[in-house]
Parts: sequence; C-alpha cells; structure tokens
Amino acid sequence: MEINGNTLILIVLILYLFFSSPGGNGVSSKYEYNQIEKLKDHLSSEYQTFQKMSFRDNFRNITGLKLSYQDIITNPSINATYPIAGKDYDNWIHNQTYELLPDEIIQKISTKVWNVSDNNLTNFYPPNITSTLMGQINLVSNNEYSQLRMPVPRYFEPATDFAQDDPPEGDSYFTDWPNYGELHNVTFQKGELSIQITHINKVSDTISGYGKKFFNSQDENWKLLRLRIEFFDKLESEKHTMNPIAIYDIRRGRILSMSQSSKFHSLFSLPHYMSVGGGLDKGDDETIFNETKALINDYWNGSNYIDTLTMGDLDTLYDNALSKCEYTVFLQLAPWNQFDKDQMKKIDEELNWPLGRPVNLTKLPPVSIQSGLLYSPDCGVELQFNDASGVRYELKVKTIRSHILLGLLLFAGQIYLLLCQMQHTNTPSSINKISFYSFSMINLVDGSLATLYLIASSVLPELYLPLILSSFSSFILASIFETRYLISIYTSQANERGVSIITLLRGNAENNDEERVTNADIPDDASIGASLYGRFFFSLIIFTFLILSSTSWPRKIRMTFEYICIIILNSYWVPQIFRNVIKGLAPRRERRRNNSPINRRQHQTPLLWKFIIGTTIIRTVPIVYVFTYSSNIFRHHRDPRFVVFLSLWLLFQLSIMYSQDILGARWFLPQHSIPEGYIYFKPVSLAHLAKHEGASKHTADCAICMSEVPVYIEEAEETHNIDQHSYMVTPCDHIFHTDCLENWMGYKLQCPVCRTPLPPI
Amino acid sequence: MSVDAPAGLSAFPVTKFAMVITGLIPLLAAISSYKYVFYTSYSPFLSEYHQYYKLLIFQLAAVNETDVILLILIWYQLRNLERVMGSFKYISVIALTYIYTTILISSLNLLVNWTIPWTIWNRYPTGTLPVVLALFHFYKEYTPQVYEFNVLLTQPLFSSEDKGNKQMELKLNDQFLLNSLCFLLCLNQGLVGIICGFVSWLCGVFMEKGLLPGVDTFRLPFINKLLFNRVNSRGSHVVRSLVQISEDPHHMGQDNGSRTPLLANDSNTILGGTNSSLGDEENTGDEPIRPLGVQFLDTFRR
Repeated sequence: MEINGNTLILIVLILYLFFSSPGGNGVSSKYEYNQIEKLKDHLSSEYQTFQKMSFRDNFRNITGLKLSYQDIITNPSINATYPIAGKDYDNWIHNQTYELLPDEIIQKISTKVWNVSDNNLTNFYPPNITSTLMGQINLVSNNEYSQLRMPVPRYFEPATDFAQDDPPEGDSYFTDWPNYGELHNVTFQKGELSIQITHINKVSDTISGYGKKFFNSQDENWKLLRLRIEFFDKLESEKHTMNPIAIYDIRRGRILSMSQSSKFHSLFSLPHYMSVGGGLDKGDDETIFNETKALINDYWNGSNYIDTLTMGDLDTLYDNALSKCEYTVFLQLAPWNQFDKDQMKKIDEELNWPLGRPVNLTKLPPVSIQSGLLYSPDCGVELQFNDASGVRYELKVKTIRSHILLGLLLFAGQIYLLLCQMQHTNTPSSINKISFYSFSMINLVDGSLATLYLIASSVLPELYLPLILSSFSSFILASIFETRYLISIYTSQANERGVSIITLLRGNAENNDEERVTNADIPDDASIGASLYGRFFFSLIIFTFLILSSTSWPRKIRMTFEYICIIILNSYWVPQIFRNVIKGLAPRRERRRNNSPINRRQHQTPLLWKFIIGTTIIRTVPIVYVFTYSSNIFRHHRDPRFVVFLSLWLLFQLSIMYSQDILGARWFLPQHSIPEGYIYFKPVSLAHLAKHEGASKHTADCAICMSEVPVYIEEAEETHNIDQHSYMVTPCDHIFHTDCLENWMGYKLQCPVCRTPLPPI
Repeated sequence: MSVDAPAGLSAFPVTKFAMVITGLIPLLAAISSYKYVFYTSYSPFLSEYHQYYKLLIFQLAAVNETDVILLILIWYQLRNLERVMGSFKYISVIALTYIYTTILISSLNLLVNWTIPWTIWNRYPTGTLPVVLALFHFYKEYTPQVYEFNVLLTQPLFSSEDKGNKQMELKLNDQFLLNSLCFLLCLNQGLVGIICGFVSWLCGVFMEKGLLPGVDTFRLPFINKLLFNRVNSRGSHVVRSLVQISEDPHHMGQDNGSRTPLLANDSNTILGGTNSSLGDEENTGDEPIRPLGVQFLDTFRR
C-alpha cells in the first residue's frame, strides 16, 4: 500500500478507534449511566447509615450485613430485606446473633489468631509492611457451617437489549444465577498461599488519579492496606484470588480484611469487626471502633469515593459477587521486638530513600504473619494458616536488581563471543559451514528476552533503568548482531536452496548443470535482509505472546510446555552437527597435515570453541539458577533432576561436536554413504582446454588477473610437472589461479565468468 | 604545530579515558542505584555517619545528569592540554590536581564546619568540577587565543533617544565555548559550585606557579605501561605508514619535511592519506586485521 496523506489519515483513524475508550467514568449508554447513579445513591445512603452508627449499634440497611449467622440458623430461607421482623438493631455483641461469623469462628479468632496482644501493647510491630508473603494454607472445613444468603441488587445486571434504559429493581439470590458454584467452594485440603501487601498512603480525589494526597490522620497507629490474596492447590486447578482493602493496627499487629463486591459492602463493617475476638477492655473496643471509623471516613472523603466510581468498578463488584465467595480475613503479624521505633524509622527511611545511613539492612527479618484465618460467610468455608513470610518489597527489588545486572553481564559476554565468532568466519566459504537454524534458535531466545524485558520495564517502574538496559542490550544482540550474522549465513547458503541433502552431501561433485542453472538466480543481501528481519519480528511476536499466555495456563500444561520449550531451545547445536555432516569437515589431524598456505582456509572449524562453550554456559546458567535455587526470584519450583538431564543433553551435543572436530564430521556415517566432495584441483583434458583457445600453449587465461594459467593436461606429458594446486577448475569448467579464485571466493561464491554458484572450498 | 587540533580522540588517550570515565561511572551507579555513594555533604555523612571515604570519591562521579554532560564536553575542550603536555604528563597533572583539590576543599570544608558553630557550607561539589577548574587555569596559560570576533546587536538595547546608549557589542574569542561551559558547570551546582570552582582555580594557579609542587616532577607510577601500550603500537604503525608513503611514487615529489613534525599528533590525517594512496593495490596484503572496534562499526556499515 502506498503511504500518502489519505492512507495516513486512515491509519490514524483506525488507531484512534482501537485506542479510544470512553473517558471519565467509562459510562457509554443511558442504561450504564442509570446503573452508576443507582450505585452512587445506594452507597451514599449506606454511608449515611454508617455515619449514624455507634459502637453499640447493629448494622441496618447495609448490603451483605443485613443477616447474621443466627438468622440463617433460625430460618435457612430467610430473605435479606431490611428491616427483619424481630431483629435487634440497637445492640452489638460479639456473637453469632449479631455477627456474620459463627461462635466457633469468633472463639478461634480470639484464641488462635488475635491472641498475641494484651492491653499493655508491649510488642513492637513495623509500621511499613509492604511485601509479598508466601506460605501454606489448610482447609479446616467446607461443609460445617451454614451458608449466609447474600443477594445481589439487580441493578448491577447488564442490559439485555439496546432499548433498555432503566436497570431492574430488587435483589436476586444465588439460586437465580446462571454460573453459580464455579468457585464457591474450596475443595483441596492443602494449598499454596500468597499475600501481597501494599500500603494505601495517598489517594486521589479525581478519576484520572492525579494529585494524590495523604489522607490518613492517624498514620501513627492505623494503616490502610491493599491486599492481594491468592490461594490455590499444587496443580493450580483451583485458584482463588481477591483484592480487598485491609486495616492494619500497628500497635497490636492485627490485620483485618474483608472482600468487597456488589453483594457485600464490607467497607462499612470493618470498624465493628476490628475488635472481634475480644481480649480487650470494653473501652478499648470502643476506641478501636471510633479510630477505625475515622480512618474509613478519611479514606471515603480523601478519595472522594462516590464521585470517583467508574463503570470498571461497577463491573468488578458485580463479577466478584457472581464468581467468588466473600471472605473475612483475620491476620496476626509476628512482632519485631528487636527493633524500637527510632531504629525502625531509620530503616524505613533508608529503604525508602537510600543514602547510605548506618543501618544494617541485611539483618532485617522478613515480614511474617504468624497466624491467619479466612472465613467465608456466604460459602461457609474456613481456612487457616500459620507462618507466611516474605522480605520487604524494597529488599526484594534490590535482589532482583542485582540479578538483572548479572543477566546484563551475560548479555555483554554473549555479544563479545559473537563478535569473536563473526571475526573468525569473515568469508562466505567459512560462513557457509555454519547452521542457519542453530543461530535462528539462539536469536529467537534473545529476541523474546528483549521483548519480555521491555514489558517488565513498564510493569516495574522501580527497576526501569536496569530492565530497559537489559532489553536494549539483548535487542542489540538479537536484532543487529545475530540477525546480521544470519543474513550472511543465509546469503552464503542461498545457492543450496532446493538442492537435496544427498546432493549437498556430495558437494556438487556431479555435472548436474541443469540443477545449477535453475538456482542461478540468487537474491541479493538487501532482499534477504528484509525477509529475515520480517521473519525475525514475526516469530518474536508470536513466541512472546505464547510465553506470556502460557504463564496463565494450568500448572500441568504450563510445565509440560515449559520443559518442552527449554529442551527444544537448548538443542541449538543439533542443527550445527547436521550442518557439519553435510559439509564434511575433515578430522583435525588431517586438517593439520594439510595446513599448507594454499588451502589454509579450507578446513577451519566453522565455530570457535570459545564461542561454543561460552554460549552454552551463558545460556545454561540462568536455567540452572531457576531450577536449583529454591528461593529464586521467579518463585519457580525446584527441579534438579531436570537440570541434570538438560546438562547431560547439552554435554552430549558438545561431545558430538568435539568428536566431529577430532574424528571428522562424518565419523558416525558408514563409509559407503559418504560421497566425495567437489575437487577444484584436477587435471584438464585437451578437449576441455580447446574451449578456452589456449590448447596450443597448454595454458588457459585467468579471467581475474588476465594472465595465463599453466595447467596440468592429461594428454601432454610436458605439463606433468605443473602443480595441480596452482590452479582451480570450477564445476562450470572455468580455470583460474588458485590465489585469484580463493580471493574472489572470499567475497562471493559465484563463478566470476558465468555466475554459476560455486561449491564452497 | 598545527592550529587545529586533530579531529576525534584517537590521539588523545587520556582525554578519551577521562570522558569515558565521566560518563560510565554515573551510568553504572545509576543502574545499580548506588548513586548516593557519590553524594557528599558535611551533614549527615561526615558529621553524623563519619563516612570519610566519601571525601576521596566525591569527584569520581557527578550525581546530576547535566553535570555529567557538561563535564564530558569540558574534558573534550581541554584536549589541547594533552596535546601540549603529552599524555603521560597530562594524566599525572590530573592526578595531582585531584589530590590537591580534594585535600584543599575537604580541609577547608571541615575547618569551616568545625570552627563555625552553625553549618554554612554543607554540600560538596559533585563530579570532577574541582579538577576541571584547576586545569582550566593551565588551559588559559598554555593555549594562545587564536582569534576573536564581535557580535553586533543591530539595535541599541535601550531606546534610541538615549544619548549614552551605544550599539551593543559582544566580544567573543575562540575559547568562549570552554569559558561558558565552565561557567555553566559552576552555576549549575549553585553557590557551592562557584566557591569550590574558585578555590580549585586558585589551586591550579598555585600549581602552575610552583607554590604547590609537583607539576614537573610528579609522575604516576605504572601508568605508562597500563594506558599507553596501545598508543605506542599505534605510533609504530604511523612510522610504518610513513615509510610506505616515502616509498610510494605518488608522494615522492612532495616535501616530506614539512609533514614529519605533524605525525606525532596528526596520525589520523596521515593514516587517512595512506589509505587512499594504497587504494589501488589492495591485493598486496591478505585480509586486513580488523580490530573489535572496526568490526563493531562494520556491522552497521555493511
């Protein structure tokens, strides 16, 4: 397509259509506008109720909190419509008559989870706990407790047709939902748990998210957190994820979190549940309630909660309600009593803004949750865990940075080795012996690493600089040096396209002129380069997408894919071994013997051993690290057996290549299957020479230096003292000085006279 | 000696080294996020944390990107000094100024901070600002001004009725680029940059006058072997090409005498001439040796 003004406008228009999305709150129809207005009204009225509520009040008309556990025991089919006849709304006591939790759970919280702090507040807890904690989670029961009925307001439902303007009224219960039951139970006994903790310190009061401000007026004692909790069984066939807000009580080391959805507006229930489990004085309970209520108010007002709601939020709330259980999460942090407040402040400052302050960061213990309990009121599932821990995020970033820098060194080493290799094979004849596919595989890996690094650099702003540098260097390696080298390899092998392997093995010994004529049309460097770059970028994009999507596959398929990919991509010497066989490298001893100045170029090993071994090591080190070091940064599982297998496989490839170097490339083929290669040094017949009109003088004209070439002629006795190695006869029967033709063949493998492709020497 | 300095840096190994180091250390520090190591101030690093090692390294890397660029440009401008002194003396003088300015600035700073009860001078300059400013004096002393030019502003600056107001005239000479770069460098680091720049300039003056000894006697040990091996081999290459030129019939008629003194520094131009004169007999040598740098470039050229 020709690029002119019109096409340019068309492209811009198409890009605009692709990338434009409804701005602001994402409302794109009258129906959605009504939906979001309803949600705003609903939340505002609930917030009013919340404002009026004191510590001694029960929840009234707040979604998800209308029923207590006792209500469902008394009447399993009770509807959650406010007000419920006979329900006590004026009192609040920590038991199942008032709470969502059964008495057993409340008991467990007080005895097994929130049992560390007493009224004296003697323990010290770190104020900043940004980290990712890993641990094991156990299912306690999934059928013991009754399931609370939590209806979803029907205005959340998407429109059924375009004409619909007003969302439906009323509530719907789970029996009405189409795909209920998918993730509404936990069926495994033991699973993996990961909790990612981030602090919400600043919020913005606009949808665009600019101008973030501090909102927390009680920053010394209370923190608002964003958790990302994931738990799944070992095979990852069942994965539960939630992304709730949490409140962190710094003095007591308690964290309370409740999932949020359109059937459970838990934000308003956090203050009440912060003092579940008791163990505290009555006055303390009330102080906790008031302080956390103030925190929620700060957050509500600071973030301008109602006005910053978007259609995205609405959809998320609705999706969470339909597809997931609601969870209440109670966590108890392990105290850091070895530090005091001033030390901790210094450590936090150093982590946040490193200046080389005299603090010992290496001795910083991991953030750890010593006990935790997850209970789902609407699914009746109870889960428990002990000891989930992880290092502070800033320290983690530091470790990752050093790993990336080491990776950068590997790239630098690979670039250096490749340059050495390129210098080693700087003529078409020597490049011809190198396998195109070996380098394609290496190139594919480097190219995908470049894209993966690039993507990572946009995800991890803290590591932008080292990541973008790695991406840049691997891109340079892949797209400039390796692709450049691939183009030379491809060009030098262009006259072999369409020729059968047997012919190649034979090295064009026979006079198959017809075949050569068909191949005489060899594309030039530029067109080969263009097509190879196209192929490179295409395969790069496909492969990167494959890798990225594979990370979300179930574990079994993902692992199979990973192992197969690693094995295949680490077979990069196999094509080279085949190439060696095809080109028929002579044994090393023979090469040494023939190392006369005349054919010194003929029998170099195509690849430098420095390059082979260096590349193998550079490419294996990261895999060995990931598979054997159990606390590696990718959280990859440990599998030393695979590493041993892979190393053996690579060693096998290397040993085959070494044996080819020592014994000759075709030592494992039976003798009779190895045909002779083309020999440039041969006697000439008179009839042949007659074509060159030099028969009388027993010489031919060298078309390169325009002087005469004395030749060895079978019929003429007097020419038999001429060295057959002083001239070369091409397959197309042209005769040149050995020096002249060898020099020429350093640039192109084409007959200087008739352009017939020449077999490499 | 030729008026124009030869283009490129191949004849200036120390300048090249200084430029590369000035850019490389901050880059490495930035990607490993250890930039703060080079950030020096009296409080808290010296007074509270007692990190006195910072006094030795604060000149190694500039913390600010603008300073990095300015310093690299200034090092390039100062290459005339290398031409005047020779590489070995130049690097020795650089090392000497590094030592003197570091001692002078840090002792002055500590003295001020210990005697005066309140902190009036906290920050240290970053990067090789002191060294560069000391060398600035050497540059001014040894480099003659070649030309100057006036920039006339077409309109008088103020109203034309004002009798005393003449046409504005800006007098610049060939060194104004270096002057303005140094000025910017000092200005960029604020009051500290100006004060330390002045102190280091004085340091350069004292060194040149012999008040601070060592300019003519102090030489770095071992450095000759480490840094200048390549230069020597290139020198022999120049000699070889000279021999080829004198043997070349095309050059026989020319006066070789006028060229010879240029060779030590103008190796580039000579080599360039050699290549073109040898162009018609490429086949004499085998495949020429391609050093890594050339190969690097060839990758982009071909």
